[in-house]
Amino acid sequence: MGSRQIVEKSLSMLRSLPRISLANIRDNPNCKKKSKRGRAQHGGDKHGAGNKGSGQRQNFMRLGYETGNNPFYLRVPQEHYYRGHHLKREYPPFTLLQLQTIIDKDWVDISKPIDIASIIKSGIYTFYPDQKQFGIHLTDEGLDNFSAKINIEVQWASEQVIAAIERNGGVITTAYYDPHSLFLLKNPKKFFESGQAIPRRMIPPPDAIEYYTSAKTRGYLADPEEISKERLKLAQKYGYDLPNIENDPNYNMLCERKDPRQIFYGLQPGWVVNLKDNCILKPKDQDLLQFFNS
Amino acid sequence: MSLCLRPKYLRPNLIGSLFRYSTATTEIAETNDHVLIDDSDAAQAKEAEIERKRNISRLAPSHQNLISGRRPYEEAKSITHLTVKYNRKMYGKYGSASGVNPILCFPTRKDISERLEYEAVAYPYSIKQMMDQAAQKRREEELKIEQRDREVATKHAKLETWKKELNDKIAKKLSEANAAKEKKERLVDEVRRHFGFKLDPRDERFQEMLAKREKEQKKLEKMARKEAREKQMIAKLQQKNVGIGDK
Repeated sequence: MGSRQIVEKSLSMLRSLPRISLANIRDNPNCKKKSKRGRAQHGGDKHGAGNKGSGQRQNFMRLGYETGNNPFYLRVPQEHYYRGHHLKREYPPFTLLQLQTIIDKDWVDISKPIDIASIIKSGIYTFYPDQKQFGIHLTDEGLDNFSAKINIEVQWASEQVIAAIERNGGVITTAYYDPHSLFLLKNPKKFFESGQAIPRRMIPPPDAIEYYTSAKTRGYLADPEEISKERLKLAQKYGYDLPNIENDPNYNMLCERKDPRQIFYGLQPGWVVNLKDNCILKPKDQDLLQFFNS
Repeated sequence: MSLCLRPKYLRPNLIGSLFRYSTATTEIAETNDHVLIDDSDAAQAKEAEIERKRNISRLAPSHQNLISGRRPYEEAKSITHLTVKYNRKMYGKYGSASGVNPILCFPTRKDISERLEYEAVAYPYSIKQMMDQAAQKRREEELKIEQRDREVATKHAKLETWKKELNDKIAKKLSEANAAKEKKERLVDEVRRHFGFKLDPRDERFQEMLAKREKEQKKLEKMARKEAREKQMIAKLQQKNVGIGDK
């Protein structure tokens, strides 16, 4: 049959032809052809990149740069919300959920007061005092599941967070540390190995004084009596019974607070801690004592 | 099991323990119950020599000190090793074994005075002063808000009358404009009727006629006003007369 012959013929032809490859395949119909970079008289020379300068060298200028002109993006400087951003304090967040987690995992000892040093030691939180970060902002995420009785000291906390901690019979304090003290708290070992006397904690700047002296925010410079009043007020506002910490077996622990000049729990300013010899050197000189107690 | 040890490791006190751990049966009786420590100079020198030969790490002495937990240099090798900071560090890291007097760790009188000078500049206000300033600022802010609120409230009270006044003004203006327009239209109509045919208002004759009509109109108005005034006057006089007559 004719068709059979055609099949035979085409098969034999196929056998003799080379295998299909990228080298002998034809482009799809109507496909876009890439222009080739011509050489010499076929469009060589500058290849359409222009003569001299950034154009020819194709070192493209940074975005918005206008070769020395006052750039457009700077011509109308009106992002007012960035005004003074380089002076603003930042408090990286730490949630109540994370706090509950490290308590449940026993990464932090709640039989002692918790401060930023113990939270950093747990390894779940870090911050950079040199980047204008001033410590922990305890946020309200996981507020409903929080159920630990603790004495905690953070750098910033909202009203709900304060309520959540006090509802469980805990105590919260917001305390300011200057960046140098924060370096010490972040890595105490490094500081002790430098063989210096523990410095004093500095006072807060004027724009933070209101927060740290207010009893509502449980500031460390606030009047303790005011704070106990505010505790009661907050309990009434949020509708919970304020547990009486006076009758608590851990009353002493819950009442423990740092001195406004103190950086580490149990260590006074002016002391030298030596980790190698396992000893503490305390000054006796009157001038030193006066300086470190001022 | 055969123990193949180099002679330098075969020290008398080791032999016993090595044999104890070997699985082969030991026939050698432990003869060295009392080890005599020979601490003569020659023996010590020998020990030192052994130690020296054992040390095949090729580390620099300072590095050797570091890894064995001693301070790297006993004597200063550079200017930095003479600084207070470096010596404090040596004390902090290696303790009293570093040989540094820990009195260096505390600030001197000069340091204290410098620090106090710095603090006087960096922290010019006490906490009490800052609290007072903050309270003052807060009060001022509140006062400003209160004043503004009051201002807005007084203005709001007057708002309805102002609205009415404005609307009246607008209505008056509109009615006046409408009246003027009507008057003009009437005039134009009259002029058209005078000519009796459709004439382009831009035509010269039309304009002339219009001006004339306007003049007449004005005259009439003036007359009317005059008459009205006279009438008023007469009425006044009459009233006066009546008053006089009554008396």
